Amino acid sequence: MTDLLLWSPYVRQLLNWGVTAGSVMVCLFVLPSRLPGMELLGVGPNWLLVWVVAWSIKRSPWQGAFAGLVLGLVQDGMTSPDPTHTLSLAAVGILTALLQKQRYVQEDFISVALIVFGMAVLAETVIAVQFSLQGSHFATQNTYRSLAEIWGYHQRIALSSAILSSLWAPVLYYPLNRWWQLVNNIEQTQA
Amino acid sequence: MYTLRRWWDRHALKLGLACLALSTAWLLRQTQSAIVFELYQRLTLPFQSVGPSQDDILANAQVQELQQRLTELDNQNRQLQKLLDYKATKPATAITAPVIGRSADHWWQQITLGRGSQEGVKVGAVVSGTGGVVGRVVQVTPHTSRVLLVSDPTSQIGVTISRSRYMGYLRGQSGNRAIMEFFDKVPDVRPGDVVSTSSFSQLFPAGLSIGRIESVDFGKSPAPEAVVELSAPLSYLEWVVVTPSTTFTPPKADAQANTPSDLQSDLQTDDLIPLVPTGLAP
Repeated sequence: MTDLLLWSPYVRQLLNWGVTAGSVMVCLFVLPSRLPGMELLGVGPNWLLVWVVAWSIKRSPWQGAFAGLVLGLVQDGMTSPDPTHTLSLAAVGILTALLQKQRYVQEDFISVALIVFGMAVLAETVIAVQFSLQGSHFATQNTYRSLAEIWGYHQRIALSSAILSSLWAPVLYYPLNRWWQLVNNIEQTQA
Repeated sequence: MYTLRRWWDRHALKLGLACLALSTAWLLRQTQSAIVFELYQRLTLPFQSVGPSQDDILANAQVQELQQRLTELDNQNRQLQKLLDYKATKPATAITAPVIGRSADHWWQQITLGRGSQEGVKVGAVVSGTGGVVGRVVQVTPHTSRVLLVSDPTSQIGVTISRSRYMGYLRGQSGNRAIMEFFDKVPDVRPGDVVSTSSFSQLFPAGLSIGRIESVDFGKSPAPEAVVELSAPLSYLEWVVVTPSTTFTPPKADAQANTPSDLQSDLQTDDLIPLVPTGLAP
């Protein structure tokens, strides 16, 4: 902490953004891997969603939406841009920021896990709705999934993704939150 | 003016970084996150499994015996074909590739392979593993490639029942199951029948094994459906074989450049028309 205090504010801010971008990269690399213990019915935790929640929990809705947009675009590139992941992640960012958890609950671990649980269900639902709309739009084409398939599948993955994401959320949230708090404290002592 | 200046002084860096983040994300989306997968391939390199050791292969005497018989029959077959002056497509060179990642979200059934365009993998190539067809390559980067599995609901393949030659198409059902929809009202099919790719399929060469019929629902409207158990263990794949597609001609190749999503939707569905295979036409 004392080391950081001596640094120039610009370098420190760049380091802060570097750490933030680095944590996103780590999430991106864990996303396609299925490490032992991270899989339930073939579904893994949604790391980008956990990151968006961790980011938005003490920030404004705009910042949350922006993070969701950026990470959604990246995930679109990694899977398929149609339907887009930006909507679901941006919605998660906005809602998490609107909750203003820190105003009501000081405790961090369980409340974050619960928020991630709810947001994971919400994110999968947003994608499922997009799939459903697509189905009605391209009704003539067989490529698109049927409604029964979409929502049956949604039930399965929403639950397992929510359980896994919420259980693994503290792994990402705790260090990131510590870091952002540290940077915040330094900035406030210097201001 | 002064307030504007102060605002700029305070937020210039933040604004710049936000723009950078957004443009990077957009770039990643347009390039199908190629950089991410390339870096991922490098990072996972130490963890990628090496192929089965010579000992493992030797230990399994039965496998060896069957392989020898297969080679023998293969040679015989080639000689007989030569005698008959049979015109076959020349055997394509296959690329073995390690599976280095799974789908990056839950809605798509995809895998990432550790071989890319540098090693000769092309979009549209057929990917098979132990047990049968696994899927098709939908995107390549220099050292990785993304495969849409046959178990993906958007992946549709023309298939046939090996025993009775009744045709239908296969629709993925995430996991290790798929639904086969028949073209006929009353197909001759029963549980245990082998399902393979049909000659109607324009994306896959005919005769590749896909799986076995698990159960049949004759009451389904408009056409009977059967549940197919895929023979390739899609959840446990470690190594796969990539064979360049011979049947595939890129749709709209000479027209304007395709957007990634266009190309992907073209590749997902097996176009089952024309329904008369060229080999059987009079």
